[in-house]
Amino acid sequence: MTRHPVLLVAAREVRTRVATRSTLISLGIMVVVIVAGAVLLSVFQDRDQDDAPDLPLGLDTSVAVLTEHLQAAGETYGRTVTTTALTPDQGTDALTADPQDGTDTVAAYISGDPRAPEVLVAETADEVLLEIVRAAVVQHVLTQEVADLGGDPDALATALATAEPQVSSVTDADDEFDPVAYTIAVLMISVLLFSLISAGSVIAMGVVEEKTSRVVELLLSTIKPSQLLAGKILGIGVFGLLQVLVLGGAAAAAALATGLADRFQVDVGGALAALILWFLLGYALYALLFGGFAALVSRQEEIGAVTTPLMFVLFVPYYVTLFVVTGAPDGTVARVLTYIPFTAPFVVPVREAIGTVPVWEVAAGAAVTLLTIPVLVWLAGRVYRRAVLHTGGRMKLGTALKG
Amino acid sequence: MSVLEIDHLNKAYGSLRALTDMTFDVRAGEIFGFVGSNGAGKTTTMRIMLGVLAADSGEVRWDGQVLDLQARRRVGYMPEERGLYPKMKVGAQLELLAGLHGMSRDDARDAVRTWTDRLGVGARRGDDVEKLSLGNQQRVQLAAALVHEPDVLVLDEPFSGLDPVAVDVMSAVLRERADAGVPVIFSSHQLDLVERLCDRVGIVRAGRMQALGTIDELRSTDQERWVLDVDADQRTVLARLSQVPAATVSPGDGRTVMVQAHPGATDVTGAVLRAALELGQVRGLTPVRPSLTDLFRDVVSAQEPTATEQEVSR
Repeated sequence: MTRHPVLLVAAREVRTRVATRSTLISLGIMVVVIVAGAVLLSVFQDRDQDDAPDLPLGLDTSVAVLTEHLQAAGETYGRTVTTTALTPDQGTDALTADPQDGTDTVAAYISGDPRAPEVLVAETADEVLLEIVRAAVVQHVLTQEVADLGGDPDALATALATAEPQVSSVTDADDEFDPVAYTIAVLMISVLLFSLISAGSVIAMGVVEEKTSRVVELLLSTIKPSQLLAGKILGIGVFGLLQVLVLGGAAAAAALATGLADRFQVDVGGALAALILWFLLGYALYALLFGGFAALVSRQEEIGAVTTPLMFVLFVPYYVTLFVVTGAPDGTVARVLTYIPFTAPFVVPVREAIGTVPVWEVAAGAAVTLLTIPVLVWLAGRVYRRAVLHTGGRMKLGTALKG
Repeated sequence: MSVLEIDHLNKAYGSLRALTDMTFDVRAGEIFGFVGSNGAGKTTTMRIMLGVLAADSGEVRWDGQVLDLQARRRVGYMPEERGLYPKMKVGAQLELLAGLHGMSRDDARDAVRTWTDRLGVGARRGDDVEKLSLGNQQRVQLAAALVHEPDVLVLDEPFSGLDPVAVDVMSAVLRERADAGVPVIFSSHQLDLVERLCDRVGIVRAGRMQALGTIDELRSTDQERWVLDVDADQRTVLARLSQVPAATVSPGDGRTVMVQAHPGATDVTGAVLRAALELGQVRGLTPVRPSLTDLFRDVVSAQEPTATEQEVSR
């Protein structure tokens, strides 16, 4: 059974990359950085929660009716109120007990009339504690009064709970700075940039390696230059996609495992899907350029001369997106860049994460990028075909295009 | 009968004319030696045959069909500039090349095993190509040309850099492939090898085929040559014989003198003998069959600049 040359070339590329230790090491480091970042973020988040500690209270049976109100008020003030029924003596003991001994301590002992309770504390009363007790007492009194007047305390509670001002702004709510969405957007385009640059460099090095080792002549006596270039781009693309999946997957898995995703209500699947779509589109664009340009040079030392301009071309959309688009994801600049093929892969996923980009704009941006690909295939194929067997000095782009 | 026909190939690199009406054929079962000095156009011709380079005009046919990409997959090629992936294992690399030539995975594996063993690099299948010595890399390169059981073999300088044992193995392989009906064409500067191995030879100079035929055909020129051995001082002999009409003399080995008859001249030997006898006892007058090296030198040193210039202006 004959196997297709493009697939054979692609398979070789994947196998070579997987067997290259340095590639795997750098990928491993990236995964560790991402997972460590997520874990750190989650630890910081947990510590923020720990700043709202328990508030243990001792209650005399006379004020047991306050329990529910105390807990509700504690929630409002960011404290978890726990109550223990204690006699006055036990209350005094609990107030003075040393927590090191393992005995239960309380922050305050409440007794007396629930409408005007006595609050016994060890030394001074914490302002928040007093506010909580005060709110609980007010709530208790209100409930009592409403019940005495023949009303429904539950209806009152519901009415009070919803008695909140409704805030709305003139500008769109989504335009407000959302640190989580911003972080995800930056993470996404950074993974994208890293993957595109590493894949582009690998393609450039591969093309030049075939030229310097002259194996290209042997290959091109059997297969077409376009098949060789296509196989190379396909193979390295598969590896690049693998890389994106590993990095993006590590980030997604870390976000899910540490509970960050739940806490921030992040659409992990959606972010990953956008990342993959735009990696593929961006990769097709840039890989063709890297492949075509690299064919112009004959020695590894000269690679920089052709890849540096391309790296620059990659960094421009990255930084523009990072500094301009994240600030105004639905501004004029962002909207224009959505329709430019070389910026779209960076701009659109960020707009999706932060802004309110309409679906048709995403589709249009993707379509423009897609339509550019055949043009680049033709262009890169032409340059590659003419330059790849040229040895010696560096071939000028114009010469390769004119041929 | 499959014949590889190279038909009026022309190729110019800017103002430099690399090939001018390069025409010859290689028949099935024949080893064709392609000789010529550096830059004569051998490599250019072979690269055009393999489609790596485009000719300005002319075509290469095999079995009467233009040698296109599909047909080229059945050609075994060894480029002048050796080329293999340096950081790829010998076995995997050859299997890839066999696959690109259309072999199935299993056939490729078997063929790689066979040829690496045959060429003495079987033990190195698991090593990266760059770890092998140049000679062994050369063997792997040959294996790359042979591994897909090609129907045509085009080898550019296959013998350069090989040790004598490898040369013997290589010669045997080429003969065997030719006997199997494969047209084999190779270029070489080792003319003794070409003479021994090839059924036919083409000598190129400045992009043109100058002499084409079997070694015997090429040898039978109308310019007969002899070695004259006379008991006399070489300088005296040279001086005396230069007066003989229709003969050109030159110093030979030791005290001998080389005599070459002008084309069409008759009884040159008689005149030479008579003149020699005047100088001393004649020990021998032996006809010389020109070696390929002599033929090559004659062809290559022949001055025909006007012809080339005319071609350029045409």
